[in-house]
Amino acid sequence: MNKNAFRILLGLGVIGLIAGSVGMWARLQYGHIPMAYGSYVPWGLWVAFDLIFLGLTAGAWIIVLLTYGFGMKQFERLGPLAVLTLLVSLLCEGIIISLDLGQPMRVYRFLVTPSFTSMLTWLVVCITAMWIIYLSMFYFLLRGKFAKADADADKDKYRAGVRILALINIPVGFVFFAVQGAFFAVMLNRPLWSSALTPVVFMAAAFLSGGALVTAMAAIFDRDKAVVIPLGRIVLVLLVAFLLLEAVQFFIGYQSNSPGAVAALNMIAFGPNWWVFWIVHLLIGSLVPLLFLLFRPDDSRSVAWACLLIVITFLAVRYNAVVPDLAAYNLEGLDQFFVHPRLSQAYTPNLYEWLVSLWVVSLWVVVFLLGTRWLPVIPAEKGGEQHAS
Amino acid sequence: MSNRLPAEDPLIRMQRDLKRALAKQPSEIKWGMVIDIARCIGCHACTIGCVAENKLPPGVVYRPVIEQEIGQYPDVRRRFLPHPCVQCQNPPCVKVCPVTATYSNDQGVVVVNYPRCIGCRYCLAACPYVARTSDFGEWYTDKTPELQGKLVGRETTAKAYEARPATEYGEKWPERGHGSPVGNARKCHFCLHRLAVGMLPACVTTCVGKATFFGDRTDPESLIFELIASPRVMRLKEELGTQPAVYYLE
Repeated sequence: MNKNAFRILLGLGVIGLIAGSVGMWARLQYGHIPMAYGSYVPWGLWVAFDLIFLGLTAGAWIIVLLTYGFGMKQFERLGPLAVLTLLVSLLCEGIIISLDLGQPMRVYRFLVTPSFTSMLTWLVVCITAMWIIYLSMFYFLLRGKFAKADADADKDKYRAGVRILALINIPVGFVFFAVQGAFFAVMLNRPLWSSALTPVVFMAAAFLSGGALVTAMAAIFDRDKAVVIPLGRIVLVLLVAFLLLEAVQFFIGYQSNSPGAVAALNMIAFGPNWWVFWIVHLLIGSLVPLLFLLFRPDDSRSVAWACLLIVITFLAVRYNAVVPDLAAYNLEGLDQFFVHPRLSQAYTPNLYEWLVSLWVVSLWVVVFLLGTRWLPVIPAEKGGEQHAS
Repeated sequence: MSNRLPAEDPLIRMQRDLKRALAKQPSEIKWGMVIDIARCIGCHACTIGCVAENKLPPGVVYRPVIEQEIGQYPDVRRRFLPHPCVQCQNPPCVKVCPVTATYSNDQGVVVVNYPRCIGCRYCLAACPYVARTSDFGEWYTDKTPELQGKLVGRETTAKAYEARPATEYGEKWPERGHGSPVGNARKCHFCLHRLAVGMLPACVTTCVGKATFFGDRTDPESLIFELIASPRVMRLKEELGTQPAVYYLE
């Protein structure tokens, strides 16, 4: 990444942090009162962003799988950059989901009184495991880079540490991405979620968004065609697989003719936010990247744009994974006779929710950019930026 | 001499049933409720009685009454469905709670441990009956003007009623705005604090149509035991296997 692009992106990140601080102030000062979600649609934009950040961690997992699971050593040097994306994503995920909690200071309860029948407990266990594995891996990767050029024994020691962690991470990561879907799938009687397909869809979504992110980062920071082009092909396969799964979800939902499923699918495809599905997700986030990846698979710039479009528009996928199911499911007439905005099936994220989300996304951008600047995560000859001494 | 009146008010009988139940070991009691839809007149007195009893803030409701309009003009009828938490004996909300803040107590009532609840709202999403609400911390007096030093102003008004906590679960809660239950999931608990002192739940005593019945469903002498055996009885979404302790008479 050249200096100008770096500065512009960093500047945008700082502006986002400043603008978003209005939302953060409202959340910290007034709690949940300024926010638009309620009791009948209890999760909204922040949970969609939480899923985005959880999914983005899949990029590092894919790189680790390719390098150590399938022995594709050309991806090994992407390790530090990919791990940085994962750590920053986990950090932002932790912040935004804490803001969504009614009593965020009680998160220690996960340690004191955990319930292992809850998928949320298992998700927290997996997130903690990912933190431990990837922080350790990052340490070994960076120490390996800092080791003196002639200290082969040290380098081998760090490389062995990374390898062991990578092998542990492959099954742990698999469970981690499956649990994200299981969290929703285990709920009884939910129109779309209550299905064995849900964990598979969530895994595909995570692999697609995470894979696209790490490919875009490779294209921007590494620029080696031997790395970017194969990753672009993997993203193409993931995109097609995800769209097929989505099509299956729609097909089964409409064919089953279950009123709840049909209502939820109609809300996605023909509801007030139809454009989120058709224009943002299918047109900009799927069709355009598909054309780039199909017809210009050997052009790093096209691959980078395709992947960036997938990542940027993925909020549409996550929003439609969370909100319509909640908004479509109700007991007929429940919200009509004891009326309050919190007791409504209608939900549209308000400005405060967007500002808080902007703050967290800006934090991701700033921390990631500073990470690439201050830590040796980019191959020195590739980045075009001098690392801080 | 019989201790029963020839035509007894159901409230009198339920009160006697309650007294008998409370003489048992707590773990031997299994509370249940029967709602006779044919008797419900849709006055919403139970909803308001519950709001007053538990001092529910804006946006929190334990017992809404759903109204349904059936048919087309001029052949139209209205049907009312009081909808408290159905106190599942196999509760989906308990399984999903990550910190064991919600659980089924010895008497089969699903309760929330407010100081333990982290406010993730997973239980709200998992409840197939949409019977839980979250306390987002709102006040009825939010828009009341602040008039410092006057008799009536937002703070004075709020302190006179709204800020004073209810005695839910028989606990003494902090003044509203100072921690739980703000930020927590909240739900109907069959007025356990009233039962503990020999009083029927607020929705039962405020029911104008005498449509709500309550008692120990394991007591063969109780009114509710008789009603549960009625051929008119049904439970909501029974196919889910949640085994509600709230029964409806169609």
